[in-house]
Amino acid sequence: MPKKIKAGFYSLSCCEGCEIVMFDLEEKFLKVLNFVEIVEARLFDGKHPKEKLDIAIVEGCVESDVDKKHLLEIRARSKYLVAFGACATIVGIPGIRNALPLEMQKKLKRKAIIPVKEKALPLSAFVKVDALLQGCPAFTHEIIDVLVKIYHGIVPSLEEVPVCNECKERENPCLLFEGVPCLGPVTYAGCKALCPSEKAQCIGCRGFTKDGNFEALREKFQEMGTPKKEIQNLFTYFNKDPFTKEEGEK
Amino acid sequence: MQQNFLLKKEKLNEFLTALSKEAKVFVPALNENNASCFLPFKNQEIFLSKRTSFSPKKILLPPLEKEFIFRKKSSSFKIEHLLDSKKRVFFGVRSCDTHAIKALDKLYLEYFTEDEWYKAIREDITIIALQCSKSCENGFCKSMGTNNPVGHDLLFVEKEKSFFVEAASERGKQVVQKYRDFFNQTNFIKPEPKLKFGKKLETFGLKEILDKNFSHKKWKSEAKKCLSCSSCTQVCPSCYCFLSFDKFILDSGDSERFRAWDSCQLKRFTKVSHNYVFRESRESRLRQFVMHKLSYFPENHGLPLCVGCGRCISVCPVGIDLTEIASTIRGDVK
Repeated sequence: MPKKIKAGFYSLSCCEGCEIVMFDLEEKFLKVLNFVEIVEARLFDGKHPKEKLDIAIVEGCVESDVDKKHLLEIRARSKYLVAFGACATIVGIPGIRNALPLEMQKKLKRKAIIPVKEKALPLSAFVKVDALLQGCPAFTHEIIDVLVKIYHGIVPSLEEVPVCNECKERENPCLLFEGVPCLGPVTYAGCKALCPSEKAQCIGCRGFTKDGNFEALREKFQEMGTPKKEIQNLFTYFNKDPFTKEEGEK
Repeated sequence: MQQNFLLKKEKLNEFLTALSKEAKVFVPALNENNASCFLPFKNQEIFLSKRTSFSPKKILLPPLEKEFIFRKKSSSFKIEHLLDSKKRVFFGVRSCDTHAIKALDKLYLEYFTEDEWYKAIREDITIIALQCSKSCENGFCKSMGTNNPVGHDLLFVEKEKSFFVEAASERGKQVVQKYRDFFNQTNFIKPEPKLKFGKKLETFGLKEILDKNFSHKKWKSEAKKCLSCSSCTQVCPSCYCFLSFDKFILDSGDSERFRAWDSCQLKRFTKVSHNYVFRESRESRLRQFVMHKLSYFPENHGLPLCVGCGRCISVCPVGIDLTEIASTIRGDVK
């Protein structure tokens, strides 16, 4: 077998849950180690910090200058950078504070241990991200997929497939008919419709598709009688509000 | 002389248990989420009240199918084909689904000059059709001419506390012969249940009307509602498009070729070189679904691809209705 690829796992502002998910690989993790050398990772005890990397897997979002500095430094010495989990790809839970009123934001800022930025932002706001591993937490089968692909020199790309596609493949009845507001039609698939299969609505942890018809879905929710506040919360839970566009955005 | 039989309803599970000793039997039943679909027979309660929400397509064309493995040799590679030939029995296939199977056969066995993987699964299937005794809310099979089963081996029709059984093929006769103990010979004639249909689709000259109204405003207004969730193509018993991709096996130099369901409602369906998507607008994707069913396929293959089961109408969260689109466009034609 050819040379192993060097990989590092990094955490910015997040719960580090995605890195823990790596342990769910169990014996497959040993197979991964056959072609991946982990040079730096807090949880796996990597021993060669600051080395040049083939692949940097970064979880968490950028909330402070410390995060930003760390991220730029990682990017500078790695060939591929993979955003790992909801925080890194779409800001996710830390991003909830972005939508809070200014007053509350200021309060939060004072309570933070390290000085935080105005907004929590995903990795793509600062550096080039080569591949995305979505989900909260990320999915083990996708982690292996990305590692194997990059090992073979292929950069994985994202497909515009909504959760409904996989949900119907699993032969689930549609939750929208039961009056449950589900974000399946506008969220990236790949999770094998984990939540809708257990009768829980999709909350969009894998990010909104570019193709999503948000207006039509909101209309459907209203028609179902979902309270306005709940609709607002659902659309802004993991993702940036798709109905408000910021300055400079297309 | 044609022989007809009766099978007592209470004997049905016994009969299916006997069948499952020598073949894999699929029956309409409720899954863990209470959706009616085709499941392997495990002596569960058979779902007989209406057509299932999900079709038996997934057995003929698995959502994800491994086609072959590339085994790496020192200077070349070897291809190992994976064919899934098993003895299978489909019980309780409704008329619409038998017509969908006919359309799939047409494509995968004739048009694609015998697709190896489809053929392996298809070859040894005994189809036991079940005549509908109640009308279904969104069905319009009568309009499509698909209200009587085709290509089946046995036909079951509910008749009070029994099933009226008609052997429709050589294979069907053999099944009856083999399990003769379950069946009682009868002089009854086949019951013809009177059905009312919830939907109607006037097919006369429909192809020309749709072709001429390619840019009708109805497409735009429907596309505004459409979520592009692809549920319609997923539940359609005759949607057959697939995509092909390779996957590396984790710890060897080998890789695998997969075939998976694809959907014309997704942008990736028409993604070509340089990431160009030629059916970019929602309108064009929705139109493709309807036009393929009602115009392109009948023109190319001489049979309708839409079998009138109405599953796409039942599953659509925003209530897009193929028959309503067609009749609106027809209504605007003078």
